[in-house]
Amino acid sequence: MESVLLKNIGKPDAHRIENYVRNGGYRALAAALKLAPEHIIQMVKDSGLRGRGGAGFSTGLKWSFIPKDPTVAKYLCCNADEGEPGTFKDRGIMDNDPHLLIEGMIISSYAIGASNAYIYIRGEFVFGARRLEAAIKEAYERGYLGGDILGSGFNLDMYVHRGFGAYICGEETALLESIEGYRAQPRKKPPFPALSGLYGKPTVINNVETLSCIPAIIEKGPEWFAGIGPAKSPGPKIYCVSGHVKKPGLYELAMGATARDIIFNHCGGMLRDDRALKAVIPGGVSAPLLTPKDLDTPLDFDSLAAKGSMLGSGAVIVMDSSTCMVKTAYIINRFFSHESCGKCTPCRDGTPWLTKILRRLEHGEGRAGDVEMLESLCDNIFGRTFCPLGDGAVMALRGALKNFREEFQYHVDHKRCMAC
Amino acid sequence: MVTVKINGKEITVEDGTLILNAARDAGFEVPTFCYQADLIGIGSCRMCLVEIEGQKKLQPSCVTPVLHGMSINTESPTVVSARAGVLEFLLANHALDCPVCDKGGECELQDMVYRYGPHKGRHAEPKFKFHEKDYVLSPVIIKNSNRCVQCVKCVRVCREVVGANVLTSLNRGDHQEETSFLRSFLDCDQDGNCIEVCPVGCFMRLPYRYKTRPWDLKGADTVCPYCATGCRMVIEHRDGVVIRARAQLGVGLNSETLCARGRFGFDFINNPNRLTTPLVRKRGALEPASWEEAMGLIKKNFSVGGGKVGGIASPRLVNEELYLFQKLFRTVFNSPNIDSSSRWDPLAVESFVSAASMHEGGVSIFDCMASDTLLIIGSHLSDENPVTDYIVRRISANRRMNVIIASPRAMKLDSSATQLLRHLPGAEDSVLEAIILNLNYDKLPDETLKPVKDARLEALLSTAGALDKEIKAIARKLGASSTVAVIAGTDFLRAPQSIPALGLLKDLLRSRGKKVTVLPALDRCNQRGAWEMGVHPGFGPGYSRVDKKGLGCDGILAAAEQGELDALYIAGSDVASMYPDGEFAAKALSAVKFLVVQDIFLTETAKLAHVVLPGASFAEKEGIFTNQEGRAQIIRKLLPPPGKAKRDFDIIRAVGESFDPSFGPKNPVLVLDEIRKEAPMYGDVSLVFNNKKNIEDKLDNRAALVKGAQSAALKVSRIEPRADLGGAEQFPFRLVTGNHLFHSGMLSRMSSSMTGLLNAAVIEISEGDADALGLRNGDKVSVRGAACEAQMTLRTRKGSGKGMAFVAENFEDAPVARFFRRGKGAPRVAITKI
Ligand SMILES: Cc1cc2nc3c(=O)[nH]c(=O)nc-3n(C[C@H](O)[C@H](O)[C@H](O)COP(=O)(O)O)c2cc1C
Ligand code: SF4
Ligand code: SF4
Ligand code: SF4
Ligand code: SF4
Ligand code: FES
Repeated sequence: MESVLLKNIGKPDAHRIENYVRNGGYRALAAALKLAPEHIIQMVKDSGLRGRGGAGFSTGLKWSFIPKDPTVAKYLCCNADEGEPGTFKDRGIMDNDPHLLIEGMIISSYAIGASNAYIYIRGEFVFGARRLEAAIKEAYERGYLGGDILGSGFNLDMYVHRGFGAYICGEETALLESIEGYRAQPRKKPPFPALSGLYGKPTVINNVETLSCIPAIIEKGPEWFAGIGPAKSPGPKIYCVSGHVKKPGLYELAMGATARDIIFNHCGGMLRDDRALKAVIPGGVSAPLLTPKDLDTPLDFDSLAAKGSMLGSGAVIVMDSSTCMVKTAYIINRFFSHESCGKCTPCRDGTPWLTKILRRLEHGEGRAGDVEMLESLCDNIFGRTFCPLGDGAVMALRGALKNFREEFQYHVDHKRCMAC
Repeated sequence: MVTVKINGKEITVEDGTLILNAARDAGFEVPTFCYQADLIGIGSCRMCLVEIEGQKKLQPSCVTPVLHGMSINTESPTVVSARAGVLEFLLANHALDCPVCDKGGECELQDMVYRYGPHKGRHAEPKFKFHEKDYVLSPVIIKNSNRCVQCVKCVRVCREVVGANVLTSLNRGDHQEETSFLRSFLDCDQDGNCIEVCPVGCFMRLPYRYKTRPWDLKGADTVCPYCATGCRMVIEHRDGVVIRARAQLGVGLNSETLCARGRFGFDFINNPNRLTTPLVRKRGALEPASWEEAMGLIKKNFSVGGGKVGGIASPRLVNEELYLFQKLFRTVFNSPNIDSSSRWDPLAVESFVSAASMHEGGVSIFDCMASDTLLIIGSHLSDENPVTDYIVRRISANRRMNVIIASPRAMKLDSSATQLLRHLPGAEDSVLEAIILNLNYDKLPDETLKPVKDARLEALLSTAGALDKEIKAIARKLGASSTVAVIAGTDFLRAPQSIPALGLLKDLLRSRGKKVTVLPALDRCNQRGAWEMGVHPGFGPGYSRVDKKGLGCDGILAAAEQGELDALYIAGSDVASMYPDGEFAAKALSAVKFLVVQDIFLTETAKLAHVVLPGASFAEKEGIFTNQEGRAQIIRKLLPPPGKAKRDFDIIRAVGESFDPSFGPKNPVLVLDEIRKEAPMYGDVSLVFNNKKNIEDKLDNRAALVKGAQSAALKVSRIEPRADLGGAEQFPFRLVTGNHLFHSGMLSRMSSSMTGLLNAAVIEISEGDADALGLRNGDKVSVRGAACEAQMTLRTRKGSGKGMAFVAENFEDAPVARFFRRGKGAPRVAITKI
């Protein structure tokens, strides 16, 4: 597949606007501004693009929920919080090819009628934030941002908003709270942001990768996009591969590549040839892990859902036989309890409880009944939390428990690890 | 209306009803922590999860509205186990130190766990602790975060209702703590609403700490004795000492809220300086005496005809007492010389009552909040009537309405205003007249009048210190509204030349077919009751006409000063401290030939008396207060009066009986019957307490509102403004007075909690004025007027008008009354750093 999202990465000074334009940048914008906004929304719908932030919701459909009333202010927010462990694709785009995102955002803003757009970027991404700010300045200078963009009469201002250092800031409504200056905690839905989002106004929130797909859809047409990968989750997809492989990194492939293809063809196989693959987390740490028997599952939204896992952010974490699943579960769970925003009871008080049990197991202080206790606590959290963070914590742990229950029990019985 | 099934039972409820309320209406209990009717729902605690047929996940019933045809289960096994699961999580890190927790016995967590389990603990991990020892947040508030259930009600009530924004949630996850930055309570209103809403033992009253268990308390459901908002509250005592006042969710117009005075200011009741025996002046000094001796002196010195006598009764007495007091004077002493205020001119009062249409009957604050436009003028609502401020803030945030605030001083409620007008102090008349002029422009019959009006408008704008566009905007909003409510405060009584304009605006808007209501904002709990009982020299009970008009407080003092007053009976008023010209008042009171003062403390006035009678506080009697809205509410007796003190009712009756044995009625119940007849406004007022719980709009107990008077003998008089006391060059600041947030008259000065919050006088000026003088917040300053000089602490306030200094009326060390001169206008002062 020809590279779409990572095509400029590696080219010298790809982040400079003149190079971006030389490589064909901002042509899609010029074309889009000649189209009616509804037409663009229809194109995005037809392309089959589904959100790359995790949930995989149809982007075109999301945009179509925005009220058409021109007197109501609307906002576009780019979710660049990229907090899911193992995920580093948005950062790749922003650090290296900021104009791709900016162009995508201008077209998207035009389509939904927004005249203000925010990039909510993870606080730690200082480099990316500076890059984006510089790029936005360049875009203003060339008339791609500001008043009457390319003579179309369309106005747009764009801001970089640096995040506040919590995973929950990436949850779309918590992100809105954060931009408004409040503590990042999710808002109750409904109302959905499309009707009442930032400052109570209709708002679209999309992931960096989602928005970066837009210029190509305009230029090459929705049919082209829909033709890549599986019919129900088409398009190019950046997989972020980390863990025990020879060549970890970002791989832009047609959606639906299998874990086997990614690990053994693209990443050069397992890090150590003497260690077998034990498990793969296919879509960020909330996604239940896959075992070698699932290696041929296509990594797309629907195929993974059918396997009880999810594509999430597309972070593929590969673990070999030396990996202790109790420790893995502990570390992942510790992340969630540390990042729990504190709003709802099951997640706030449930995940730290899980962490405390897992820590004991990991430190050889397991007690009889611990595994059953973990399972029972998971039941009391799952489906009862305010936002998906708590569910994510449970899904990850349940995945490990389901596939490696004996390892957990071994920690209880022998006060040490089976794998290492 | 939509029909839903709850646990198989069909119920029809209004569109948009929350599942929680629908279930409760249908008779099912659903436990909650974070839900509270008058706060914005957050759906976070997950206690109220219910099962909805066809939905995979349990849903929070407190934020999910019913949809037609929904089938809901609140008792399914999943729901039951989810509740137990949530409670188990809440207990995981919970301190569980019930034996030493003030909340034990009335703790929602205890109750819920008892009811919904789990009854066995599984959590065997180390608990996270926020801190070892409870920490003191303010002189009245202490906190233990280790017991928190994170319902965030404390933060929400502070933000959404009180508007103080002192509290917030800090940190994340199970480290989230509801507290204030740096654990300091800098801008706190100290109202303790955070305590009241807290379901567990986190926010606690410091004065109440470790004093009791709730089951050892005996309480009385009563009404706050401070301002005329009329908040319902329960006061509770243990072994004769009142140790707590609390509000009740869903009861009274205030529901669960009170202000600092209401929640903490009750401790004057057990102040050791309470009067417990009659005192009689012997050889120049007041000495304890028997009731017989005191009454004998009264009998001897008050003449039943012929001599000139007067009576002043406090607007903190109950209606029954006030009624009997005026009856005593009008029928026994044959004297029309009675009044219920040391501060207001009787003519001003009559004009205000008329202009505000108080004789038309009660006006519910909730009706005011349902209007298109609310205009607040002449009132520093945030400090004077704090719970009225809460109601305005809470309701206006959730509906589309104009809230216009016109006031010289900045106040907390400003942030809820859709339009603010900072005008010059005492210039309410110019503001209102300018609005009226603008409203009249579109009806100008003759174009040639326009220049005349323009010139007039210009003059008004300059005396008001307002901009043309501000006034125009207000006029536009009023013009475009079909319902208008005006909250008019006591500044109208301080600058009575403004009263006619208030009446004019009301009449003008009404003549355009608008529904206009005026809610008087008053600072004494039963001021309205005192007027409606006829404790006024110009009108009788129910604002009825009187045959003979008499002297008010000012006239009585003037007569006394001339040596013409034979006897004066003051019940509960501290005239010497409050009459605006302290020096004159003291001189006049000393010249009364026979002065009887009935009070609960030896006030400055009582110190001048020949006979002092010990009365009862609001906690020691029963009766009715009529709040500013005209809502008649019962206060209930909690304790007997201390020592030999007596109910004021009994004292007034005994005084009457000593002249005429048939004087009566003999008990308050019979007096009420007579009031219902003599003041038909009270004819069918219902005194049945409204105990509806939880549902917010049921807070409005309309049956308690007084009705309109059939024939009121009132008129609005034009009262000429008086020139300021002191020249502007020498004294650059115009003095503005009123009550402090923590104090109300002199009564709160006897509360150690309230004096603990603020004891010494402060003077408040705008930040800009302070900068110009090189003064800073907290500086000690000398305040000098033409009549008096005093030392105070300077407070600066952002957003207040220039050239204006506020001093509260409540401090002995800054005797505001002494800055005034009888017959002169508002004093001007100079401020210098010491
Ligand atoms: C706890 C949590 C964290 C999330 N973090 C991110 C994130 O870092 N970046 C992101 O794009 N989406 C994140 N999401 C998903 C967003 O809520 C939202 O669905 C997404 O930004 C929508 O964009 P899309 O439609 O383009 O995928 C997160 C969701 C949850 C529940
Ligand atoms: S599940 Fe609850 S506590 Fe956890 S992050 Fe979401 S809202 Fe916050
Ligand atoms: S808050 Fe309630 S459960 Fe907790 S210690 Fe106090 S009384 Fe006990
Ligand atoms: S302190 Fe009390 S009111 Fe505040 S969140 Fe905790 S339990 Fe709720
Ligand atoms: S002082 Fe007024 S506002 Fe405060 S509690 Fe008492 S009645 Fe309510
Ligand atoms: S009461 Fe419904 S979630 Fe707290």
